[in-house]
Amino acid sequence: MSGVAAPIPLGRFVLHVLAWLPVTFAVWYLAAPVIVWPAALLAEAVARLCFGDLVRAVEQSGATLAFITSLRPGQAVAGGVVTVEANTLLFSFGLPMFVALTLAAREPHWPRALAIGYVALVPAIAWGIEADFLKNIAIMSSRGVASQTGFSAFQREVIVFAYQFGSLILPAVAPAIAWVLTHRAFLERVRTAAR
Amino acid sequence: MIRFFVVFLLLLAVLFGLELTPWAQQWFVEPWTASLATISTSLVTLFDGSVHASGKVISSMKSGFAVSIEAGCNGVEATIVLVAAMLAFPSPWKHRLLGLAAGIVAVQGLNVVRVISLFYLGQWNRDVFEWAHLYVWQALIMLDVLVVWLVWVRTLPAAPRSGNPPAPPATGAPAAA
Repeated sequence: MSGVAAPIPLGRFVLHVLAWLPVTFAVWYLAAPVIVWPAALLAEAVARLCFGDLVRAVEQSGATLAFITSLRPGQAVAGGVVTVEANTLLFSFGLPMFVALTLAAREPHWPRALAIGYVALVPAIAWGIEADFLKNIAIMSSRGVASQTGFSAFQREVIVFAYQFGSLILPAVAPAIAWVLTHRAFLERVRTAAR
Repeated sequence: MIRFFVVFLLLLAVLFGLELTPWAQQWFVEPWTASLATISTSLVTLFDGSVHASGKVISSMKSGFAVSIEAGCNGVEATIVLVAAMLAFPSPWKHRLLGLAAGIVAVQGLNVVRVISLFYLGQWNRDVFEWAHLYVWQALIMLDVLVVWLVWVRTLPAAPRSGNPPAPPATGAPAAA
């Protein structure tokens, strides 16, 4: 390509994003079990690799991921184990935002941008799921259950930070970062539109 | 661009870490959240006198419904993202400060709309409330941050291109703005 591309009116771009959002949110919600499957798989792999002694199995049901642990709920429940559920939608709501931004930008090679963004966002979603699981067993569970995890006070602080970062910052910021990185030429045209 | 993202992520982690400290919670986040509840309630009472705020809780005396503004809904995280993005992007300090002032007002303005809308959605339909609360408004607030940042970036003076010769001195003709 050569020459100077046309500048982008920001207002029209924002209107296009808002028009796409209901569509992308609907698709994301309806197809969530498939869309979050790679992130669920990554979260399961990390759980088995890093916390293999705590996790017996991970099962996905729709958009919910259930971690079946080896932790015992207490002496009153003989033979029972603690199961922790994670709502993957809580950590993947940025996906429809990323798709709406990408479709509204109308850049050439937008399917490639979608693919790159999706691959980039999978670890961010998995981070949230993993941190949510750890928060539930180490922080939110009863003292009897939490003590079985063997986490030190410092590790519990790290889990709290990882959970807060993974639920309050990453789900919304990661899609914005992915979009900016995959739309640098578009952003340059947005800048020049003002001059 | 790489330098921008590295500085942005570092600032984001530091500011977010600071926000989580008990000191910041007590002296900044809690008063901020209570102010948000007060401002939202002041606007709502213009058309609904049954609403009042107590700390970070907004409640309706008519329906008995109440919402508590918690982390993630007080706009602090969105503001932190905006601050980190504006500080990380190369620009004159004057533009940064102006951008931060206007940007924080814009983000918090939409956040007031979020709080008020959730307060009424919660009284109307709990499922819709949950959906709007957990997913839709989270994305819209971040979209707001992104748009505010884009608008700010547009207002920045053009950076001189490296390698280009400096502009010739003016010879009496007026300079282009």
